[in-house]
Amino acid sequence: MDAIVQIIVSGVTLGAMYALASVGLALTFGTMGMFNMAHGLFMTIGAYVTYSAAAVLNLPLGIAILAGLTAGGAVGALMHLVIVRFMLDREDFRTTIMVATAGVAILLQDLILKYYGAYPFRQPAQIEGTFRIGNVAVPYQSLAILVTAAVLIGATAWLLKKTRFGLAIRATAMNQDAAKLMGVKTERTYLQVIIIAGVLAAAAGILISSMASLSPGMGTNPLIRAFVICVVAGLGSVAGAGMTALALGVMEAAIGYYFGARFGFPILLGLVILVLIFRPAGLFGKAEVIRS
Amino acid sequence: MMGSGVLTRHLVGLIGFAALMAVVPFFVTQRYFLGEIVLFMIWASVAIQWNVLLGHAGVFSLGQMLFFAIGAYSVGMLGVFYDVTPWLSMPVGAVVAAVAAFIIGIACLRLTMPYVALLTFAIVFMVDSLIRTDVECFMSHGGRCLPLFGGGQGFSGFDDLGFRKLLKGKWIVGNYFVVLTVLLLSLLASIVVIHGRLGLAFRALHDSRVYAAARGMNRTRFHVVAFVVTAFFTGLTGAVYAAHFRFAGPSLFEFPTLVIVMAMIVVGGLKSTWGPIVGAAAMMLLIEFAKGWGDIQNALVGTVLILFVLLLPKGLSGVISAGVEKMVKAEPSRTDQASPAKQ
Repeated sequence: MDAIVQIIVSGVTLGAMYALASVGLALTFGTMGMFNMAHGLFMTIGAYVTYSAAAVLNLPLGIAILAGLTAGGAVGALMHLVIVRFMLDREDFRTTIMVATAGVAILLQDLILKYYGAYPFRQPAQIEGTFRIGNVAVPYQSLAILVTAAVLIGATAWLLKKTRFGLAIRATAMNQDAAKLMGVKTERTYLQVIIIAGVLAAAAGILISSMASLSPGMGTNPLIRAFVICVVAGLGSVAGAGMTALALGVMEAAIGYYFGARFGFPILLGLVILVLIFRPAGLFGKAEVIRS
Repeated sequence: MMGSGVLTRHLVGLIGFAALMAVVPFFVTQRYFLGEIVLFMIWASVAIQWNVLLGHAGVFSLGQMLFFAIGAYSVGMLGVFYDVTPWLSMPVGAVVAAVAAFIIGIACLRLTMPYVALLTFAIVFMVDSLIRTDVECFMSHGGRCLPLFGGGQGFSGFDDLGFRKLLKGKWIVGNYFVVLTVLLLSLLASIVVIHGRLGLAFRALHDSRVYAAARGMNRTRFHVVAFVVTAFFTGLTGAVYAAHFRFAGPSLFEFPTLVIVMAMIVVGGLKSTWGPIVGAAAMMLLIEFAKGWGDIQNALVGTVLILFVLLLPKGLSGVISAGVEKMVKAEPSRTDQASPAKQ
């Protein structure tokens, strides 16, 4: 019984972080067909800016976190304005944008390494203490992660489903040309989507670094998880990504508990590939959307 | 039509390139420069194979370094555990890489482009972390415990190609010609694939997937064939890398390495035939110069990659062939329609 509680607690915490990391990725892919290899660096930047604001500049934690989220959005916006904007009309956009964002990723990671060094800093955005469910000690931090992720993902869902702004995004995702004809400024929609993705990624980065520590390469691990989650959910399915993230988080915790942590991800990846053999478009994906 | 004429022209180019590279060691004698040229040839070979997949077959594989590492690890493991000479283990490594590619290809290549990219990337990451976290002893070697796949350290100090005994101080010239041979094999294979029947199939699938499918062409089968062939030569290149450096370790999986090879292809020109060689040479020179400006290699590679994707998407070979075309057009009697085929 305790083992199950333990698995669910750590699995849901993992899943909540993965969900935050993958929703932005799914959103950018769904809207503009862009796979952002620099998404992991958005997480890293959010985490480091929060660290700097709180630990170096001694700002209050709330403002530090806000600064981290803003930084994530700002880097996203900058990447769109300097690079992505000029590539949207390319015939092979899907391929070339991955190459370009891979370049952004390695550039940003090197800059962070040069500025902060490789020392694993401790993220100050943390809540100490635990409470008990049965015999299992649950850190308040896990609860904080869960609540933060739920609030942010809920807000994103509300934005997408209930506002005119979200309607424009969904319309663009459905059919770019039709959306344009209906008066949606798709160019601006893309910018907004990347900013949202940047903010969500930064939030994920702050939460992840609060469980582990800060390092220039900290974005790689959650990025790969987010990749796999988006692939299983079906690329571009935002709600599917959230649900899959929770499921995979619990599964990874369970596999890690019974077989050892190093097999958590490999077994998961094997299962994912098996799923894809039978459902090539993912669990929540529609069979092959062809975009021109 | 682009027929065997184009193929012949590229094969003549290959012979010219081989002759050029074969005389280099007679003029360049410093071991450092020869070593750098050996490294250039290794990365050029990896880039050539990746370009076949990425630029021609339309398979966005991010798993090329896995096949490279399989080749390298085969040489390293057979050398350390069983004292097998690299001459034997190199072809073994290439075959193992091809078999691995076949299995991964069957599982992944039915999916569409972005799925393939993400899955191959995830598979490499998984293999990397499994190797790094392995601490179980497989064999004691040189007084220390060595896991089956070498753990975080990898394998080093195994037998090399034997030129150190044979040629003494000039051993690197021996290695040079072995690596050159691998590069030429890899280039030959890429030319035959790109300008042969397989390349024709790729072009047909690219131009109209539906029409090609209606004519009975199985996209997945062509992709798996391309995946296996390129993995064979990438694995062979990895094997010769291990034989030359006497090293095989998980550092081969690092993301910057992948991006550098990617930059070589993009700088040289995606979808070209000779671009990867041009790009590999350009990137090696750039990295060499950058050593004088401090430790900025990764930032520089990232910047160059972004600039080329944005401003020169056809790469250096695109610039060259556009220049050639201009010159040809300037002549009044142009007979050869196929001048863009240079790219």
